[in-house]
Amino acid sequence: MSAPGVSTPAAPRWGWLLLSFTRRELLNRYAGSVSGLAWTLLHPLAQLAIYAFVFSKVFRIGVPPSYPNVGYVTFMAAALWPWIMFSEGVQRAMGAIGANAGLIRKVAFPHRLLVYSAILASCVVHGVGFLAVLLALRIAGEPIGLRGLPIAFVLLVPYMLLAAGIGAFLAALQTLLRDVEHVLQVVLTILFYASPILYPASLVPASLRPWVQLNPLAWYSERMREVLLHGSGFVAGDLGIGIACAAVFVAGLWFFERLSPHFEDFL
Amino acid sequence: MTAAVVPGTATSTGAESGGTGDARELIRLRGVGKDYPKISTGTDRLRTLAALLFRRRDMPHFRALDGIDLELRRGESLGIVGENGAGKSTLLKIIAGVVRPTAGEVRVQGRVGALLELGSGFHPDYTGRENIFLSSALMGLSRRVTRAKVDSIVAFADIGEHIDEPIKHYSSGMVVRLGFAVATALEPDVLITDEVLAVGDESFQKKCIAWLEGFLRDGGTLLMCSHSMYHVQTLCRRAIWIHHGRARMQGESFDVTREYLTYHEEKNGKARPAPRAEGTLPRIMSAWTERGDGVRADTFRRGEALVLQGVAYEPDDRPPVLLFGVVRVDGTSVYGSHSNETGFRPARLEPCQFGFAVRFEALALLPGKYRMRVHTLDAEGLRLFDTLEVEFVVTGETRDYGVVELAHAWLPGRGR
Repeated sequence: MSAPGVSTPAAPRWGWLLLSFTRRELLNRYAGSVSGLAWTLLHPLAQLAIYAFVFSKVFRIGVPPSYPNVGYVTFMAAALWPWIMFSEGVQRAMGAIGANAGLIRKVAFPHRLLVYSAILASCVVHGVGFLAVLLALRIAGEPIGLRGLPIAFVLLVPYMLLAAGIGAFLAALQTLLRDVEHVLQVVLTILFYASPILYPASLVPASLRPWVQLNPLAWYSERMREVLLHGSGFVAGDLGIGIACAAVFVAGLWFFERLSPHFEDFL
Repeated sequence: MTAAVVPGTATSTGAESGGTGDARELIRLRGVGKDYPKISTGTDRLRTLAALLFRRRDMPHFRALDGIDLELRRGESLGIVGENGAGKSTLLKIIAGVVRPTAGEVRVQGRVGALLELGSGFHPDYTGRENIFLSSALMGLSRRVTRAKVDSIVAFADIGEHIDEPIKHYSSGMVVRLGFAVATALEPDVLITDEVLAVGDESFQKKCIAWLEGFLRDGGTLLMCSHSMYHVQTLCRRAIWIHHGRARMQGESFDVTREYLTYHEEKNGKARPAPRAEGTLPRIMSAWTERGDGVRADTFRRGEALVLQGVAYEPDDRPPVLLFGVVRVDGTSVYGSHSNETGFRPARLEPCQFGFAVRFEALALLPGKYRMRVHTLDAEGLRLFDTLEVEFVVTGETRDYGVVELAHAWLPGRGR
């Protein structure tokens, strides 16, 4: 965390610093705009509207028969919000070191807090949006099981750990190699279309399906729908994937901590 | 407690607190070095990444600091001087924990308050007040403790209603004011400042210096980097001169700053026309200071005799009128006098050259660094033709304040 022999101040205060950073992330995101936080809700809603139109009206992708009475919007929304939470968290985490270069150059503190706060802010904003959209759809008559809500949010925890692990890895790498952010844009786009978010996994050709199942994002997309729209409980796979996500988090953080003392050299 | 901030004081504050030497040692650096990676090309970046990940040392680099040893005990004050790019800021950053050294051992005990350049750790979009909370969180204070201190911080910074405006609308002086106010309110064990006094206005500088003097008097520990030799001399008892990443000299702040200034004079002196050639105007050909016994010197103990010697050139071969003035190194005038006052006539050494000397028996100047200015005037003593400066240092121990010692005696008062 710090140079060998350099005394580090007591740990508890970092909790408050993390909150402070997260608050800053939330408030600064739309600093200078009139509607402020409202944009963070409107933005995914607009995405939802566009995808819903293009995929259900133009490409005419239907909801698979295993989800009777479920509208396409609901079908997509259940997977879209967790995706936005993930992708935005990863992107913000990746940029967190550069965005706070001034602080890193002048103050000693654990840099990983910046990654955490990026992820946390994304969770808070889109968690609230997700909840609001699900409740709105339920009121509109969609068959969303309220019992599944807490399960869905528990499933989001390892999902966000995955985001934090990847985010930490990329943040450290980006500090040394500025190419990362450009690559990430492309990779995220590929991931988005390679994961069954806009379409059901059943539409994927059988020969490719094992590959899709290797993708944890695909796993969580499907699971979100099962939990929210089918009333499914936890399954054994949740634990396995959860452990895998935690492992990615630990590995990403190890990489980050290895390079973090040298960030100042590159900023 | 004693006024340890007065230059040349030998008494050490905090001695009363007892304890072993080690316990009072707040900062200890042994053989500290820092290599910055060279990352101009993509290959360099990849090699550096690999080297950092696998803890190898074979990355392309340049050495910013090399083999620095340094100790700082509670109640001490250390000034860091050196040219731009010598590695002063890197050294401070290592001590502040912002930069990890490549080599050597760093031990820092106690809470460090660091003011590294302008607006340390401030966020431009936040208001001054919000930044106070952010900074205190970074320095390890809880929100509750900070809330109790906000008013005194705002009062010290004295930036009025700007405190509720975003920092990005502040002038650089206001940012420094706020930064200094925050850093000092948090009562650090060690205060690290990097060139912060240079930015504030005159009255704020005075306020800062007064605060620093009080801080040192109360046993605070200061690590200061400055290009103002005056500040280093008045605030720091010891100094270290960093030259091209290495410690070129370490010792009493007066000795170090004098050497440092000499180095600069020599560096600039190469450009100056060396021999003072003859011309059509009266000029000072040379001047120097010496002890009462006639030995040239530039360091004098307080109370010792100082003799200013010089040779003046007068094109018309008439005895010139001379003027000397003593100023402190920061430019404060101390005393000056005219050779006309006493009807003094310098000795004619050879055609057009006149020797003169001024003897100061029992130098009343308090320890510090001074300049003796010698001028030639026209025969009427009206026009100033030439100036030559000689620097000298007065050493000694004192608890007195000011510039000169005035002859005085303490007596029982009459009461009316």
